[in-house]
This record gives sequence, structure tokens and C-alpha cells, in this order.
Amino acid sequence: MEERETARREIDLQPLRRILEERYRPRDHQEAQELVVGACQEAQHLYGWVPPQAAQLIAEHLGVTINRVYGLLTFYADFRTEPPGEHFLWLCHGAACYIAGSQKVVDALRTEYRLGEDGTTSDGLLTVHVFDGCLGACDLAPVAQLDHHEYIGQLDANRLRELVEELRACRRVGSNDETIE
Amino acid sequence: MKRLSDRAAFEQYAAEARARWERLWSEDQWVISVGISGCSIAKGALETYRNLSLHLSEGHIPAVLRQVGCGGWCFAEPFVEVKLPGHPPIVYGWMTTDRVPELLDALRRGDLRPDWALGVRAAGAWHGIPPLTEHPFLRRQRRLLLEHAGIIDPESIEDFIAIGGYRAFLKALFEMTPEEVIAEVKASNLRGRGGAGFPTGIKWESGRRTPARPKYVVVNSHEGEPNVFKDRRLLESNPHLVLEGLLIGCYALETPCGYNYIGGEHALALQRFQRAVEQAYELGLLGDDILGSGFSCHVRIRTGGGAYICGEGSALMYAIMGQRGQPRTKPPRSVEEGLWRRPTVLNNTETFASIPAIIQNGGSWYASLGTKESTGTKLVTMQGPVKYLGVAEIEFGLSMRELIFDVFGGLREGYRLKGIQTGGVSAGPLREDELDVPIDFEALTPLGAMVGSGGFVAFDESVCAVDFARYLVAFSRYESCGKCTPCRLGTPALVEILDRIRHGFGRPEDLDIIQYASKHIIELSLCGLGQVAPMPLLGMLERFRDEFIEHITERRCRAGVCPIAAGEPLSVGR
Ligand SMILES: Cc1cc2nc3c(=O)[nH]c(=O)nc-3n(C[C@H](O)[C@H](O)[C@H](O)COP(=O)(O)O)c2cc1C
Ligand code: SF4
Ligand code: FES
Repeated sequence: MEERETARREIDLQPLRRILEERYRPRDHQEAQELVVGACQEAQHLYGWVPPQAAQLIAEHLGVTINRVYGLLTFYADFRTEPPGEHFLWLCHGAACYIAGSQKVVDALRTEYRLGEDGTTSDGLLTVHVFDGCLGACDLAPVAQLDHHEYIGQLDANRLRELVEELRACRRVGSNDETIE
Repeated sequence: MKRLSDRAAFEQYAAEARARWERLWSEDQWVISVGISGCSIAKGALETYRNLSLHLSEGHIPAVLRQVGCGGWCFAEPFVEVKLPGHPPIVYGWMTTDRVPELLDALRRGDLRPDWALGVRAAGAWHGIPPLTEHPFLRRQRRLLLEHAGIIDPESIEDFIAIGGYRAFLKALFEMTPEEVIAEVKASNLRGRGGAGFPTGIKWESGRRTPARPKYVVVNSHEGEPNVFKDRRLLESNPHLVLEGLLIGCYALETPCGYNYIGGEHALALQRFQRAVEQAYELGLLGDDILGSGFSCHVRIRTGGGAYICGEGSALMYAIMGQRGQPRTKPPRSVEEGLWRRPTVLNNTETFASIPAIIQNGGSWYASLGTKESTGTKLVTMQGPVKYLGVAEIEFGLSMRELIFDVFGGLREGYRLKGIQTGGVSAGPLREDELDVPIDFEALTPLGAMVGSGGFVAFDESVCAVDFARYLVAFSRYESCGKCTPCRLGTPALVEILDRIRHGFGRPEDLDIIQYASKHIIELSLCGLGQVAPMPLLGMLERFRDEFIEHITERRCRAGVCPIAAGEPLSVGR
């Protein structure tokens, strides 16, 4: 939880500013409006979410209102306006994954890990996003993607529990290291 | 890269690219290609690539290591193609890292490991390895769009030009008028691949006729449905083919403004299309005064972030304009008033990718493929427990049974087919005994089924019809943009009724309420999402009515999926 509070406060806008200045240079207001979503995606890549400071910067840089930016951030399912947990899990709930039993995994997550409204476990370990489309790895169904790169296939409630335990264990080891130092 | 100034310069570049391409395959060296695409990355292709690179340098094997796209055979990913001196290229499937050293050792000993081979790229068998085209997954396919997928490097414009890329665009640009281009597209009878099957040539012609300017030509690469993954594979494997189609579209509409709207979740497709656009600019195939022809064209890429509705034409245009992607009433149609209130032609990724071959070989050639009303080839994906899961390209007219049992190999051992869901969330299923219908836009309609975007879902006896219907309708409920009441309130009502039934609180009259509510949603909704949202449910109800009744009167779910089976209390949720 503390980490999430820190994440909220400490946002270094410099990298975002650089990207905006390099690659988001609209020739007119029409193009500026077309670039809002892309700019928000850059912010989310950088920070894992779109902090208010970043949204404000984007609005100012592109000359649109902050309402416009939030209108889009709240419209699209992929944008986060709260900092995610330490890990991010994309759980595919496309048709192939459904046929292979992803509903049971979704249910297990909801009942066992009591996810908050933004899909984050109460200990801040994991943010889960149930993905309505197809992740495009149907041969592994049901499939999840951890931290945007690692795929876990043939997922069931047990494998999910193991995964969460593994992440918890890593976290404990991580905090021990700190006390040794 | 030097910007090419005219057609002669292009021809020279193409000749050099071709010569280099041929040398690559004829020189005395190993050529190893690894398929790097969304599905193969998920199965460890990047590790395979790194491992190969390490072992090749450690073993001092003089080799060219390349990346290619996806060949469509997800079931055999990661795949590696090896061309040894004096041998034709052999494609190996299931090449996870642990197998890399073993494969290389075997090949050095002269053992071609036929047991791991999918096939050889040659007309006949080679040392006991059958031709790739004889593989059951490929035997019934007709590959136009996927012809070079998994063979060329998708990040190399030179590879694309070496195999004949951009020839169709040059033909249009230098030898045809825009009217002639449209005439060929009309003659081909190409129909939109994004779902509705509207004739592309007629759409282009209406766009051309509307006088306002500027005009826009937009590729729809959103692909947000839960049941299909073809467009992103095409962009990952051959992005220049889509770009070439877009360029021809812009030329036909005489406009310099092209767009591609790509779903934000398709990161690799986005990246590779971006790269393709950059390379085309560098080479002078995009930009001002292309090859000295006087025609200019600029392509912009836009993305969204996980809203299915943004695939709907008018919503997509709002999304590009930086507004919330919500559909609007029609008319005016997009060809009259679309992006920035200007005439806009919007087509699916696959539609654009079909254009170059039509221009190159003529509309009547294309019309000779497929069936009379559904011409050409179609990319299809099959999900579910099938043996050869992947993306296939078939000629229209193949029967559904042939598609499932020949191309996709039928169900895996231990599964029995119950039905095929068609059209994703937009149509109903077919039962096992209805599969002898040809795949074509018209033939499926009377059965309440649909070709749609070509994403089919095979389901077996372990899937409950009530629960599956709920899943499909819940998708539409969740993705409803909320702009109009019938869809915003109607789809949750359907889900609620289905939940009641799933939990054992169903009432006999619920089936009538479903019919009644569905009728309203279908007739009164503003856009395609709501207008078809109840279709999967109505289809399931028609085909598997006894299962619904069993849930209601006997409180029994024969598949054992629904909460009644476990005696769970009623809960609402996704
Ligand atoms: C809710 C909804 C979602 C859609 N999603 C897509 C999509 O992801 N890709 C696509 O090409 N067409 C999609 N369509 C169809 C488009 O509205 C449009 O008909 C199509 O892009 C036109 O191209 P075509 O004529 O080449 O098929 C969708 C339609 C609806 C109603
Ligand atoms: S039918 Fe549904 S998705 Fe379409 S405009 Fe109405 S509420 Fe939005
Ligand atoms: S449906 Fe989950 S990966 Fe395709």
C-alpha cells in the first residue's frame, strides 16, 4: 500500500515531456486531438498508469481541456487512473479461453482475492485486468500475461494460486534483502 | 536507404532486391528463419531465437539467422525453418529452446530429424519429409494473403519488394486511372472482410462520387472481438501488403490521407506496421510526389485502448478524432460524412490486403475464386479444442465440416464436437448435424449463422449452451457504449435472465421474455452491437432448447458448468 502512495506522489514528468516534445508535435488542432490517446498510452507505458500530473501535461501540451483527456481515460478499458499493484496480470477471457475454462479462473480471482474496483488485491501485490478480447495466444488457452511479457498458459484456479504464492514469496525475499543491507 | 525518384529507380531497386533474395537461398550457407509473432512469442520464440544465435556462434556455423512472421500454424509454434546447403528449406515445429541444441547437432550429423518437421518447402518429399503443402492443415488452404507469411521478414521492405511487393501499386499509379482501379475492384466482387460483407468496389465508388475534400481512407485494424485473431497476424507477418492495399485505395479516391486504426493491445502488429510506414517513407513510396508521379500520400497510425465498440465504423472515426468512441445514427453514411466530417472510406485490414492481387491479376481472375456471390479467399481462425489451431486462408465455398475436420484437424482426442459458434458475438451457432453448409456470406444466413470476420469457435460437450450464451451476451453488455437505451438496459436484462436460469431460479416464462426482449433490442438499438447482441442467445436457444428447459424445470446443467450444479446461491457479477 505504501508503495502505491509513493507512486502517487513521486512522478517524474521529464521523460514524458521529452517524448511529447519529440514525437507529439501536431501541425494543427485537428491533429492535436488525434494524438491525445497515443500520448496517454505513452504515459501509461512510462508509469504503469496515467497520473493526474501526466494527464495535465498532455492536455497542456496538446492544447485540449483536461476534461477531454479524462473523458478518454475513463472511456477505454485499458487506461488506469490509479497506480497498479506491483505486478500486472492480463487474464484473457476471449472465446478460446472461455471454452477452456477461463470463467472459473475469473471467479476464483474474484472470490479468493477480493479484488478492489480497479482489480487490485488488497495487499497491493497484483492488479488483474480481465481482457474481453482475444490475447492472440489461443493455443495456450486459458492464458494470462504477467507484467506485459511472460505468458502463462493452460491456467486454472490452482495454477493461479501457485502464481500468486510465487509472487508473494518473491516479495518476501525482496523485503528481507532490504533488512540485511 | 535512398529515396527512389521515379519508376525506373524502383525497378532497379527491385531487381537488386530480387537478386539478393535469390543469393540468400542459393549460397553455400545455412539460412535459419524463426517465426516471431504474437502467438509464437507467447510460446517462447524469442528464447528460441536467442538460443539459436548463441549456439550458431559457439558452434562456428556460418549461418544467416532471420526473423519471419507467422505461418498460421499456432499449434506448432515456435517454428524454425532451416535451409542447409544443397537442401530445400525444412520447417520444424515445436522448436522450444531445449530442442535447439539437439536439432543443430542432428543437422550437423546429416540427420534431418523428419520427426520434428512440419514439411519441406519443395514440390516433392525430401528424405522422408513430405512437402509442407501436403500437411493436413495446409492441404485444403488457398493462400493469397498468407502466401509469403512466415517466409519474408515483416520488418524488411526489401524482402517484400523482392517477392514482388508494391508492383500492384505501381501498376495502378502508372498504368491505370483511379476509375479503372475501382472498376477492377468492382469486377472482383470483393466483399468487406470486417463482418458485414459490403461490396468494396461500390463503397469506393460512392466515396469517389462525394465531392467534398479532403477525403480519407481508413484501415480498420481494431480487431477487438473475443473470437478472432487474423488481422493482427496479417499485420505481424506482412504489414507492407496492407499498406500497399491502402495506398491503392488512396490512389483510387485521389486523396493523400490514409489512416490505420490499430487496437492498442496488438503491440507487435502496431510496431511492425509503424516500421512498414517508416520504411515506405524512406524509400519514397509514401510522401509527396511518389516516384515522380505527382501523387502524394501520407499514412497516419492511430490506436485505441480496449473498447470493442471502437471497431464500429462511426465510433472508430470519433475515436481517431480524439473523442469517446460512440456510434452515431446513419445517414449520413461515412462515405458522405465520416472522419472530420469528410467523405471517408473504411475497410477491414484483410479487405485492403486483398486489393494488390486484384489489381495485379485483374478483377475477373479474383471473381473466379470462391463462390459466385462470395469471391476470393477468406482468413479464418478456429478456437476451441481443435487439433491444428491457427489462422488459415481458404477459398469461399469450402464446407464448414471440411474446415473443421480437414483444415483444423477436428477435435483433439477426448473431445466430442457439440457445435460451432459463428460470427463471434453477432450470430448463432451451428450444430454438429448442420455442418455441411458452404462457407459463404449468403449460405449461412438462413441458419442464423454468419461468416462475420471469420472467427469460429468449436465447442464440445463440456460447454453448457446456457452458460455459453450468457458469456456471449455478457460480452455485448460489457462492451455496450451506453449511448442508446435498448442496448444499455436490454443487454443487462438478458444477462440477468440467463443468470437466473444458470442459478436454478429460472421460470418457464423466461424463454418468452428472452424472445420478447431480444426483439426490442434488435429492432431499436442504434448500432450494430445492439442490433445483433441477442443473436447468439437466440441461436443457442433454438439449437439447444432442451438444455435451457432442463435448467429451468429439472434444475440440472448436464455439462456441470452452471452454478445450479454446485448448488451455489444467486450472485451477480461478470
Ligand atoms: C460493434 C462492432 C464492432 C466492429 N468491429 C470491427 C473490427 O474490429 N474490425 C473491422 O474491420 N470491422 C469491425 N466492424 C465492422 C465495421 O463497422 C465496418 O463495417 C467494417 O470495418 C467495414 O470494412 P469492410 O467493408 O472491409 O468489412 C464492427 C462493427 C460493429 C457494429
Ligand atoms: S447499440 Fe449499444 S453500442 Fe450501439 S450505440 Fe447503442 S448503446 Fe452504444
Ligand atoms: S481467446 Fe484467450 S488467447 Fe485467444
